[in-house]
Amino acid sequence: MSAVQEALPAIRGSRDATVRRFALTDAIFHGLTRAAAILVLVLLGGVAISLFAGSWQALSTFGFSFLTSESWNPVTEKFGALAPIYGTIVTSAIAILIAVPLGIGIAIFLTELCPRPLRRPIGMAVELLAGIPSIIYGIWGLFVLAPFLQTTVQPFIIGVFHGIPGLNSLFAGPPYGIGLLTSSLILAIMVLPFITSITKDVFDTVPPVLKESAYGIGCTTWEVTRRVVIPYTRIGIMGGVMVGLGRALGETMAVTFVIGNAHRISTSLFAPATTISATIANEFTEAVGDLYTSSLVALGLILFVITFLILAIARYMLMRIDARTGA
Amino acid sequence: MSQMLSPDMTIAAEATAKAKIEVKNLNFYYGQSKALKDITLSLPERSVTAFIGPSGCGKSTLLRVFNRIYELYPKQTAEGQVLLDGQNILDRSQDLNLLRTKIGMVFQKPTPFPMSIYENIAFGVRLYEKISKSEMDGRVEQALKRAALWTEVKDKLNASGLSLSGGQQQRLCIARTVAVKPEVILLDEPASALDPLSTAKIEELIDELQADYTIVIVTHNMQQAARVSKQTAFMYLGELVEFDRTEKIFTSPREKRTQDYITGRFG
Repeated sequence: MSAVQEALPAIRGSRDATVRRFALTDAIFHGLTRAAAILVLVLLGGVAISLFAGSWQALSTFGFSFLTSESWNPVTEKFGALAPIYGTIVTSAIAILIAVPLGIGIAIFLTELCPRPLRRPIGMAVELLAGIPSIIYGIWGLFVLAPFLQTTVQPFIIGVFHGIPGLNSLFAGPPYGIGLLTSSLILAIMVLPFITSITKDVFDTVPPVLKESAYGIGCTTWEVTRRVVIPYTRIGIMGGVMVGLGRALGETMAVTFVIGNAHRISTSLFAPATTISATIANEFTEAVGDLYTSSLVALGLILFVITFLILAIARYMLMRIDARTGA
Repeated sequence: MSQMLSPDMTIAAEATAKAKIEVKNLNFYYGQSKALKDITLSLPERSVTAFIGPSGCGKSTLLRVFNRIYELYPKQTAEGQVLLDGQNILDRSQDLNLLRTKIGMVFQKPTPFPMSIYENIAFGVRLYEKISKSEMDGRVEQALKRAALWTEVKDKLNASGLSLSGGQQQRLCIARTVAVKPEVILLDEPASALDPLSTAKIEELIDELQADYTIVIVTHNMQQAARVSKQTAFMYLGELVEFDRTEKIFTSPREKRTQDYITGRFG
């Protein structure tokens, strides 16, 4: 008893020192993590400011018509962003339309149906798709996919839809091979692994007992997936779609190879077009005038805003879905 | 296909009642490890049977054989026979979805589907029956009344099933199970995650349901087994130690191990 009491002050002293040391390291840790978080905001703000400053000349020269004009003429220095905006949005939208059902299908197969020994090889193959550099998609698209589409698929589709109002202008010739649809296909392949792996991960978060209870009332795998797994994970799936959309909107190299780089808006999906990032990549080296350079930076600003808006809309949609179901 | 069994191998709890489920020489494996060892018992129709025993004794495993839910997972295999009305459900030709509409299951944790209260019940019904909206309304109401939940939720049928309290969610799961008109209801520790009031409600419900359904309940709570069941099976280390009328098990068990377990000497 007394021995313990004698030792007490010494123990207290060393404890106080330890506590002070902890307080110091804790403060350092706190500061570092906060600095890291603030750095993100600073970077984001810096990017926005420099984009805005760089594009000021173009925006003040052309005003609102920069967004509505289709003309892009370096000789007369008349620039309008409508064609690249159109190309960016249409290629990304078609890519997502193709990649989302495919990606969800692969994820369902891998998580619910696939025999266990096949699960890893297929999952890894899908993830390896994400590791292929985009330049390789570009040359593959230009030398393999585009000629293939030009000689087989496009003439066939043009023939089939010839004379059907609406569809005949959507799939009008001549078959170039390169163009909007080819870019969309390449983009779909490129975003597929992102959508698949995120969807697969969120499917794995569904509690087994929830699936068991759905199977337990006699559901088939399709019904369990359609009515329980997908509703349960819809926010995660939307997240995967957004990541894919973000990739598709900004993807430069592969698209530059196969889109045709034509500053015009055509109703045909087979026609050459351009996207914001492809335009910037193609023309930055030849942009001699200040106004030309500034117009390209303005394109960058527009891409920044589009990406931001799409994320914001997605968030808003998710909030509304949640409010409706009360989940 | 079926080998003949001598009558004395079947432990008959109620010799007079018709057997709904008959288990004959059932062995169950998780990969290499044997979880059920030569189980033979017969569950009488329209009454409550409780499975008790310490954790890992195989009682939940046995329950999961009855609707073959274990087949969702690889490397889980069952050998032997489980007869539902004389039909072997372990037979390869048995349609699993059909089996599971006949044998409903309620789990330890409430598992409402991510949809409205109404849809939670209508969903299962719609899978196998094409009925009109008004008939469906009736079925949903009837199922919710059956599960003693109707008065609490009748004004918010379109709210999410997840918005209910734990006890209400569990009764919703029971309502959902009852709505598809099963013949057998399997309850895997249905009240272990609930407070005493909700537990009492669930037990009352089980008592009412046995007029129409054959009920099997797995429970850790021996008082609960004593309260709700007509016959009790005590399992230990994958074996069926003793199976008899509940009051016999709890007052004068034949086996020493049963005696030790119910008096709290181990487990």
